[in-house]
Amino acid sequence: MASHQLIVDLFIDPKRALTLDDDTWVPVILVLRHQQLLARFSYQFRGAGVFSRLSSYAQHHLRNAEIIADKQYRQIELEAAELTMLLSSINVTPVFLKGAAYALQPHLKPGAGRTFSDIDVLVPKKDIPYIEQQLALFGYLGEPISDYDQHYFRNWTHEIPPICHHGRGTVLDIHHNLVPLVSGRAPQIAAFEKHVIKTKSGYAVLDLPAITLHSLMHLFFNEVFKHAFRDLTDLHLLFTDFSEDDWTQIIKLSAETGFMFELMLAVRYCQKILGTRIPPWVCQQLEPIAPNAVRLWLLDFIFSYTLRPNHPLVSSKRQKIANFFAFVRGHYLKMPLPILFWHLMMKSFFAVRDAIFGKHHFNPKNSANR
Amino acid sequence: MNIKKKLLLPPFCFEITTNSHLVAENLQKIYQFSDWSSTKPADYQLSLQHANGIRRFLKPQAQFKADQQEPFQPMLATQAYAMLEWGMNWCIASHEMQFVVIHSAVLAKDNKAILFPAPPGSGKSTLTAYLAFQGWRLLSDEMALIIPHTRTVQPFVRPICLKNRSIELARSWFPNATFSSVATHTHKGDVVHLSPPADSWHAATLPAEIVAVVFPRYTAETELEIYQLNQAQSFMQLASNAFNYGVIGSEGFETLTSLIAQVPGFEVCYNNVAEVANFLEEELL
Repeated sequence: MASHQLIVDLFIDPKRALTLDDDTWVPVILVLRHQQLLARFSYQFRGAGVFSRLSSYAQHHLRNAEIIADKQYRQIELEAAELTMLLSSINVTPVFLKGAAYALQPHLKPGAGRTFSDIDVLVPKKDIPYIEQQLALFGYLGEPISDYDQHYFRNWTHEIPPICHHGRGTVLDIHHNLVPLVSGRAPQIAAFEKHVIKTKSGYAVLDLPAITLHSLMHLFFNEVFKHAFRDLTDLHLLFTDFSEDDWTQIIKLSAETGFMFELMLAVRYCQKILGTRIPPWVCQQLEPIAPNAVRLWLLDFIFSYTLRPNHPLVSSKRQKIANFFAFVRGHYLKMPLPILFWHLMMKSFFAVRDAIFGKHHFNPKNSANR
Repeated sequence: MNIKKKLLLPPFCFEITTNSHLVAENLQKIYQFSDWSSTKPADYQLSLQHANGIRRFLKPQAQFKADQQEPFQPMLATQAYAMLEWGMNWCIASHEMQFVVIHSAVLAKDNKAILFPAPPGSGKSTLTAYLAFQGWRLLSDEMALIIPHTRTVQPFVRPICLKNRSIELARSWFPNATFSSVATHTHKGDVVHLSPPADSWHAATLPAEIVAVVFPRYTAETELEIYQLNQAQSFMQLASNAFNYGVIGSEGFETLTSLIAQVPGFEVCYNNVAEVANFLEEELL
């Protein structure tokens, strides 16, 4: 039977895959597909030279995932070109973030086999009304969302509700900051703007230290851990390519923007779970950031479970408890208490309503066929 | 009570969990010739469950899931079986990238296969049902699985999905055939699944070579009109019916262009399926 440790071991040592029989592959494939990691693992197996010796069942499903991921990898270039061109006429240069940014830089390890459901871009806040207008002209429109969610996005977060290209289905997440404003932790975005570089094809992205810092802020300053394990493997692959100077830069940038604590967590759990190699001097510098033993024990409890593969087949009761703690912690980090109470009250009202009347009855996307 | 069964539908193996009697009974009926005790590992884990909530006493709903994914909104509990069939199609269309998958019926005689790609409403399934019960072998009703860079089509034998008026027609033609229960008021109207004859099920692993592509179009006032299409017309129609053409890229393009270069393409307008069958048997085989 598969366990989350087996999935972790397969990432650390892809050669382990040779020992798996089909009865073990079935749950492994399910967990990896659920975590959007099938294609990444497939490329890991190829890198280790074991892919062609895996069972035909495993190869079949891994290859399917590679083909889908490759298509996205090819397509992102076209999407980025169109978006950059459309916004250049209103003098805005979108900075591509996360999955799209990895795929736009072939030398970055997390790009190959990484799938993503939307394209994230960073733009100046003052330009957002013009950007929405300009993109609407070319087929990017908002999807129906509830009034409460609209209010939530516009007033409290760091992004606007997603917009979607009506022909291709491409979903765009437009950000004006990297963490929600309501948290009081949103950094001066100018600090990140200094780290904007152009790719060979001319698209704006963050440089390696800044893209990594954003990735770890996203992972540790969050309440949803559905793809946490994938995000942890992103960090591992990014850290693996760090030069000494990149380490100096990420420490400087995280100190400047107030995310040293998250950097410490990222380094700690990459090491603990994936055995990532971190220069000793970096660990020394981060050591004073660690909290007291009790808090550290609690954090270890939460993250040693939530950062592992998540799927009903491999999740233990402890993982569920840890996920709940992480959910509460994430909300607490993001929202001042009065707003948090209000938000949770609204969300639980909606949950009770849905429990009574059926989950999909009030879905704004579904209003046509009620 | 939950029932969990493994159902081998070559070339794929499904594991199906359901608490719906309607679904379990229909599965047993429609797939009576299938292998229910395969030792192959399951490719897709599907579940069809009655949804929870007080709502179930008012207007019972059913929910389809492929592992943890829920691609459709819940439907009425009486539509659960049709939903499972569509869910199986969804799994193949969204995950299987190593065949060129076309929205098309496939029927064969002597392993010479004809593709019938067509959008809904073209009378494709009625024609499929007629041919399948007139000595043709059904390879697929909804999806043709073409092996890349060949003219070979892999069977994926499944029931034929009949809609609205064609249901009564098929019942009158084949009174002894096996029909599922009716799913009324779906987004496609009333729907019934019809199990093809035993011969089609027994040959479910036997591939066939494509010899022609026929785009059927039911038109009540036309007796029989046949147009031969040029390669560009055939290609465009075929590509617009391909599920995964956009994803698999050059492999799909090359397979379809070389297929179209090798086999003729026709558009057939008809109001009588027997005349179409005559044309196919006399001119194309």
